Amino acid sequence: MISNNRHIRQQFDTRTHILMLFLLLLMMTLFARLLYLQWYQHENLLLQSNNNRINVVPVLPTRGLILDRDGIPLASNKISYRIHLIPEHCEDIHALLVDLQNKLLWSDKKLNYIERQVKRSRRDRPMLIDDQLTWMQVAPIAARIHHYPGLDLLSSTHRYYPYKELTSHLIGYLSLARDNDLKNGYRHTEYVGRTGLERELENELHGITGSQQEEVNARGQRVSILHTVPASIGDNINTTIDIGLQQTIWDQLGDETGAVVVMDVHSGEVIALVSKPGFNSNLFITGLGQEQWDDWRFNPQKPLMNRAIQATYPPASTLKVITSLAGLKHHSPLIHQSTYCNGFIELNDRKLRCWNKRGHGQVNLEQSLSQSCDVFYYKLGEELGMPALVDEMKNWGLGTFTHIGLTPESDGNIPTPLQILSNGRTRPWYQGNIMITAIGQGSTTVTPLQIARFAAAIANGGDILKPQLILHQQSEILWHADVQPEHLREVQHAMRSVVTQRHGTAHRVLEGAKWDIAGKTGTAQVVAMERDKSKQDTVVERHLKDHAWFMGYAPFDHPQIAFAILVEHGEHGSSSAAPIAKTIVDYLADKESAQ
Amino acid sequence: MISYILYSLKNMDKVLLFSIFSLFSICFISVYAAVHEGNMYIWQKQNIYWIIGIIILIIVSLIPIRKIAFATWGIYLIALILLLLVPLIGDTNMGAKRWINLGIVNIQPSEVMKWGMMLALAYYYASREANNIKNVFISFIFAAIPAGLIVQQPDLGTALVLLFTGAFIILAAGFPWRWLFALTLSSPVFLYILWNNMKDYQKGRVMMFLDPQQDPLDKGYHVIQSSIAIGSGGLFGKGFLEGTQSRLHFLPEQHTDFIFAVIAEQGGLLAGVVLLCLYTLLIGRIIYISSIASSRFASLICIGVAAIFTLYVFINIGMVSGILPVVGVPLPFISYGGTSLITVLAASGLVMRVYIESKNKIPWQRPGNPLS
Repeated sequence: MISNNRHIRQQFDTRTHILMLFLLLLMMTLFARLLYLQWYQHENLLLQSNNNRINVVPVLPTRGLILDRDGIPLASNKISYRIHLIPEHCEDIHALLVDLQNKLLWSDKKLNYIERQVKRSRRDRPMLIDDQLTWMQVAPIAARIHHYPGLDLLSSTHRYYPYKELTSHLIGYLSLARDNDLKNGYRHTEYVGRTGLERELENELHGITGSQQEEVNARGQRVSILHTVPASIGDNINTTIDIGLQQTIWDQLGDETGAVVVMDVHSGEVIALVSKPGFNSNLFITGLGQEQWDDWRFNPQKPLMNRAIQATYPPASTLKVITSLAGLKHHSPLIHQSTYCNGFIELNDRKLRCWNKRGHGQVNLEQSLSQSCDVFYYKLGEELGMPALVDEMKNWGLGTFTHIGLTPESDGNIPTPLQILSNGRTRPWYQGNIMITAIGQGSTTVTPLQIARFAAAIANGGDILKPQLILHQQSEILWHADVQPEHLREVQHAMRSVVTQRHGTAHRVLEGAKWDIAGKTGTAQVVAMERDKSKQDTVVERHLKDHAWFMGYAPFDHPQIAFAILVEHGEHGSSSAAPIAKTIVDYLADKESAQ
Repeated sequence: MISYILYSLKNMDKVLLFSIFSLFSICFISVYAAVHEGNMYIWQKQNIYWIIGIIILIIVSLIPIRKIAFATWGIYLIALILLLLVPLIGDTNMGAKRWINLGIVNIQPSEVMKWGMMLALAYYYASREANNIKNVFISFIFAAIPAGLIVQQPDLGTALVLLFTGAFIILAAGFPWRWLFALTLSSPVFLYILWNNMKDYQKGRVMMFLDPQQDPLDKGYHVIQSSIAIGSGGLFGKGFLEGTQSRLHFLPEQHTDFIFAVIAEQGGLLAGVVLLCLYTLLIGRIIYISSIASSRFASLICIGVAAIFTLYVFINIGMVSGILPVVGVPLPFISYGGTSLITVLAASGLVMRVYIESKNKIPWQRPGNPLS
C-alpha cells in the first residue's frame, strides 16, 4: 500500500523527468539518423533513386538494305511483331500460354520451352515470348489485348531475304549477337552479320544505336520517356549484282550444281555471282533448327559453300588459253607451225590421249584452241616447260586471291616451277606432269572467280581487275598482265573461233547468241578414268562425271562482260556450260537494247 | 449535463489540441501524396476516420477517470477474449491472423489489448508500488499473457510495443533502478530465448535488418528503398507529389507503415524535423500532464499513452530509416488505418480527460483512496 505520498510524488516526478529525457534521446537518435541519410548520404542516395527510376534502353537502328544494281532489294527488313509478358500480372500463365499456342500454332515443344523460360525469368520484368510474328498472326491477340493482362505487343523489324537460296552465299545471313559481340557494343537482341556481304559490310549496314531514357516504376514498366537519342538508320548498299541475270542463270542451271561469275571487263563489277545449291538464309533469322543445320552441313552437295570463290576445280581446257599465251610469249616453234593429231601422243610407252580418239588431223594454234586439241598442247607444254607455264598462270592471276571482299576465299593451287620432293630437295618435273598441266589437269586448281577475272583480262587487254561487289566504286587494276597486244589479239581470235568455226567446241550452241562471244570450253576430270571404259559405260555415277567449264567474254568487238561458268559433273563444257553463256549474253543484250 | 460538457470542452489542453491538429494536417497531405495516383478512396477513408476519431476523442474526454477505472478490468477481459478468439475466427492476411471481422468493421484485438493492458497496469499500480517482486510478477503476467498471444498471430512488433509499454509503466510505478540494472545485464539470456521462439520470417527480418544488402530483392528491399527515398529527399525534399520513389511505387506500403519515407522524400529533412518536433511536443505534453494529474491512476495512464506513442514513433521511423528491423508498426496519427488512428485518438481523449480533471484542484493523492 502507498504509505508515503510525498516520497511517492517525488519519486514519480523524478521518473517523469527521466522519461522526458529518454523521449528526447530517442528523438535525437531519429534526428541524427535523418541527418545522416538526408544530408551526409544525400547525393549517393539521390543517385540511387535516379538509377532506380531511370532505365536507359537502346533504340536499335534499322539495318540498311542491300540492293541490286537496279535498286531491287536483296536483303530487306520486314515489320514483324513480338510478344512480351510480365508474368506477375498474369493470373494463370499456363492457360494464357495454351491460348497463345492455339492462336500462334506453336508446337508442344515450343510451348514447353516458353513455359520453362517464364518460370526461370523474373516475375516483375517483361520477357520475350515470341517474335517475328505477322500482323495476321497477332491481330486476334491485338484485338483482345485487354483480356490478356501482362501481355504486350510490340512492333519491330527483322531481316528478310526475298531471293532466299539465290543470293544466300553472296548476301550471307545474320544471327543474334553472341558473347564476343556484346564486348563490341552489341545488345542481346541485336543481329550481327555472319557471312557474305552482311558480314563484310556490317559497319555500314548496321547504323548507329540510339538510346532512350525512360522513367520506370518499381515493376519495370515504362511510365514516361525522359530523353531520346534517335538511332540512325544503316546505309543502303547498292551491289553490282543484276538480280534478274542471277535469277536467269539460277533457273538455267536447273538441277545442276555449280558456279557462275559474270564480270564487267572494264570496271571489275561482278554482275552475277551464282553458287548452286544455296540455302534459305531466312531460316537463320527465324530460328534455325539443329536438324536443318546438320542437314546443310552434312549434305554432300555442300549448300553452305560459295562455289564461286571457295571451291577449287582443275581449270581443264580453259587453261589452254594460258598455255597458248605462254607459247606466244616464248616464241615456241610449235606456235608458228601446225602439228598432226592422231588422237594420242606417246610418252615412255604410255599413251596420252586426245579427247577426240580419232584425232584432229593437222592443226595450228587457232584450230587446236577452237577444237581443244589435247595433243597440240601436250607438245606445246613439253616445249615450254613447267616454269614458263607457272609464270603465265601467275601472270593472269590464277592461284591468287582476287580480294573480292567476301571471306573466306580460296586461292586455288598452281604447281611449283620445280618439283619439291618429300625430302625438301627439288628437281625438274617429269614430262608427263608438264604435259597434263599444259591441258589444265594435274595439280592445278582454280576458283570460278579467278577464271572470270582471267577472261576479263583477255578481253580488256590484260588488266587484272579487282572484282567489285559495290556499285559506283573506283575500279581497281591490280596489275597489268605481261603480254604483247598482238599475242593477245591472236588468242582472242582463237577464242572467237571456238564459236565461229564449224569444228569449234561451242559452235553449235553459241552461234545464235545476240552478242558475239569469244570463249573456251573445258572438261575437268574428277576421276582419272580410262576414256575407252567411260565411253562404254552408258551410265557413270553422277559424282564421278567430269565438271564442265565455259569461260569467255562478249561482245567480241567491244567487250563488255566476261564470265566463268562451272557446272559440276556437267561432263562437257560445250553441252552443259556453254548454253548458260548464251543465256547470259542474251539477257544482257536484251537489257541493253531495252534501255 | 450541458454545463459539464461545456466545462470539459473549455478546459481542454490547447497544446495537446494544437499538436493533434498539426499531425492531422500532415496526415491529410502525406496520405494524399502517397495515394493520389489511383487509390484516392484511401485518402477519403482516412479523413472519415479522423472525423470519427475526433468525435471519439471528445466523447472519451467527457468520461470521468473514475468511471474508466471501474471499466478497466472489463476492457482488459474483453480484449483478452477477442485475442483468444483470433486463432479461431480470425481472418488470415499475408500469413498472419490478426483481424476479427465483426460484420461492419474489422478490428484488430491486439490493438485493443494494448490499451486494455495499459489501463490494467495503471489501475494495478494506482494503489501499489513496483518495489516488490510479487507486484512486479503479477503485473508482468498482465502484460505477458496478451504479448504471448500476439506473438503467436504472429505480430512481433505489437507484442514488443505491449511489453515495453508495460515496462515503462512498471518503471514509472517505482521499479527499483538496481533491478533494472540487473535485468539489463541478464538480457542476453532473454534475447536468446526470444530468438529461439521466433518464426523464420521474423528471424529473417531481424537478419535482414542487420545487413539489408544481403537480399536486396526480397526482405531487404523495403529498407533499401525507403532509405533511398529518405536520403534522396535531402534537406528540403523533392517537392509535394514529386517523390519519384513513392510515385513510381518503389516504396512498399507507402500509405501505411512506410508513410514517413513519403514525407521525408517530398518534404526533406525539414518535414522530418517538423514531424519529430510535433511528436516531441505531443508526448512531452502528455508526460507533463502525467505530473499534474489528479490521481496516480491518471498519471500512470498518461505514462502508458506517452510510452505507446514514443514506441510507435521510434520503432516506425527507426525501421523506415533503417536503424530498426521491419516489424510492421504504424506511425501514429499519420499512417493510414482506422483501428490504429481511432485508438490513438481515443488515448489522446483519455489524456485530455486527465488534463481536464487536473483543473479541479483535487489533491494529487488522497491517502487511502488513490483512485478518486
